Amino acid sequence: MRLQDRERVSKAIRTLRGDRSLDSLVDRIYEITEGSVSLDRATLQRVATGRTRVTRAIDSPEDCVRLYFALMIIGCEEELTLAEVVGEGRTMLAGFVGEPLATLVFADLRRTLPKLTDLRTLREYLEEGLRVWLPT
Amino acid sequence: MAADVTPVAVPAESNTVRAEEERLRGMLEERLGIRTRVASLPGTRALLVSPLAGGMPKGLVVDRSVSAAERISLYVHLAAHIALKHDLPLITIVESRGDVTSGDEHNHRDADRLARAMWWGTSARADGRELWPGRRSRILRPLLSSRPGRIGLRVLLLVLRRLYYAARARRLLEGTAVARSLRDALCVTAVVCAAPELGAIRRYSGSG
Repeated sequence: MRLQDRERVSKAIRTLRGDRSLDSLVDRIYEITEGSVSLDRATLQRVATGRTRVTRAIDSPEDCVRLYFALMIIGCEEELTLAEVVGEGRTMLAGFVGEPLATLVFADLRRTLPKLTDLRTLREYLEEGLRVWLPT
Repeated sequence: MAADVTPVAVPAESNTVRAEEERLRGMLEERLGIRTRVASLPGTRALLVSPLAGGMPKGLVVDRSVSAAERISLYVHLAAHIALKHDLPLITIVESRGDVTSGDEHNHRDADRLARAMWWGTSARADGRELWPGRRSRILRPLLSSRPGRIGLRVLLLVLRRLYYAARARRLLEGTAVARSLRDALCVTAVVCAAPELGAIRRYSGSG
């Protein structure tokens, strides 16, 4: 995969990680995705800091979608606002997989969002969303 | 991933209803591929998340405060949504506590209607009968169709249950058809009290 807008993706990840260090961010991503994101620690850190647009280890959109859910869950844990979590999550996903797939994946959140009353419910939605994308 | 349902401690919740909820939750996973877990969802009763590919398990999250009887009514309602093919890939079905949003109103109304038919085993749809083990009852259904009937029957059954244990009738009746019928009636009544829309008498005429 090649990131479509390195700087913007990096900014989105910086926002979503809140006060976490890069190491703690990567640990949490591996934890949430049950180790299913095939991106090594160094590359993930380079993506987060905007130092690379090449993520060779990620070769499937499923990986990117899992990363999208994981980062948004982290955004909820960091108690960002609902708008920040959703907006930055979408930007990050589009940067990884491009607009068409991002729009498809994001469409459900866009439809569901008005019915989710708070961050806790959004987080449960995201956790379940991630579960259905985890490899069986 | 196995069903991950935290036991919900609702005071005075009947063991019969809880056991039935557990049985139906297992059936939901086996027949419909729905994995259930409980979490805190303020303002929302449940979320059903469908995966991209068919054949993969769906994820159901139910709010912690939802009682066992209400969960049973949710299961039959969701089975109706699935029979009606509302569970499209990457579409989440939200069961809100408040009014449903206008876009979903039609789907939820249809699901309510079919759920009622599936619950009482009167669905004209073959898939509805396959997805849910309906129970035909010429006695309970008319009684449960009105609010006073529901309340009266529930009180009567709870009194009978108390007598059953207090008078040690359990020793004599345990395992008999009488005890089974009473348990079944208690369970059906609890569910219809939690979801009165299941009690209304209207026939679902949907086909195919």
